[in-house]
Amino acid sequence: MDLIKLVVLLVAGILVGYFLRNQKRINFSKVTFGIIIVLMFSLGFTIGSNNELLNSLPRVGLNAVVILLLAMMFSVLFVKLVRRSVNIE
Amino acid sequence: MIKYIVAALALGGIVGYLNNNWGNITAGNFVSDYLFNVSLLLLLFIMGVSFGMDKESMAKMKRLGFRILVFPFAVALGSILGGLVGGLILGINVTASMAVSAGYGWYTLAGPLTGQLFGAEWGAVGFTVNFLRELVTIITISLTVKIDKYAPIALGGATTMDTTLPMIVRYCGSDTLITAFSSGFTLSIMAPFTITTIATLI
Repeated sequence: MDLIKLVVLLVAGILVGYFLRNQKRINFSKVTFGIIIVLMFSLGFTIGSNNELLNSLPRVGLNAVVILLLAMMFSVLFVKLVRRSVNIE
Repeated sequence: MIKYIVAALALGGIVGYLNNNWGNITAGNFVSDYLFNVSLLLLLFIMGVSFGMDKESMAKMKRLGFRILVFPFAVALGSILGGLVGGLILGINVTASMAVSAGYGWYTLAGPLTGQLFGAEWGAVGFTVNFLRELVTIITISLTVKIDKYAPIALGGATTMDTTLPMIVRYCGSDTLITAFSSGFTLSIMAPFTITTIATLI
């Protein structure tokens, strides 16, 4: 997926929303929920049809789990620290 | 909500697996390229509209300004440090374990790239670590958001500009849209550079 396409669609959405900001607010949550389900299905599909990935999973075991947990822990910790230091609510 | 997400993911996984291994009944590309891209782009547009209409979120974003740029760098440092500590604890190649965690969840990049740099075994680790990072971010989001409002953005890494973004906006609030997107965007650009830099310098 092109990074550019994502940025363009997001910016276009924000602009459209900005021009409609004085209209009555629309509740998008039902629509987005439906599309999220489609997205998650196709994400699952992509993973399920990736044989190279599936073959990797059982071979790596503990090493992968330890690296993953520590990388995630330190990421959250650092985000918490910088949030406090630059004062983000 | 999360159970529907997990069900959709699992069902997609099973259908994808069957489709791939017992002859392509539906063209796999239709789902993994077309359906995936269209739903993602549509979501980005709708989330953008919803954000643009929300005066409070827009005002909050203006107050934050460039300070949101601290997020991707905090996530990058945290991930690489996690790889370092993990490598030391496990007594394995520390450079490789740091490079693996510098994929920030982008498994289709990190898998092949670490494989090329450190051999097939590490390619498998690169694939798994980063794939699980995306999966864990999605599945645990309702819990991790309680640790910190921005914890899911930290966990999602590079994926917060696409696959995990809709979930983050739903659970962390509409005002996190730009923070999450820009963090994922920056990390996606950083991932190939940090992986190769770690591999060549250290």
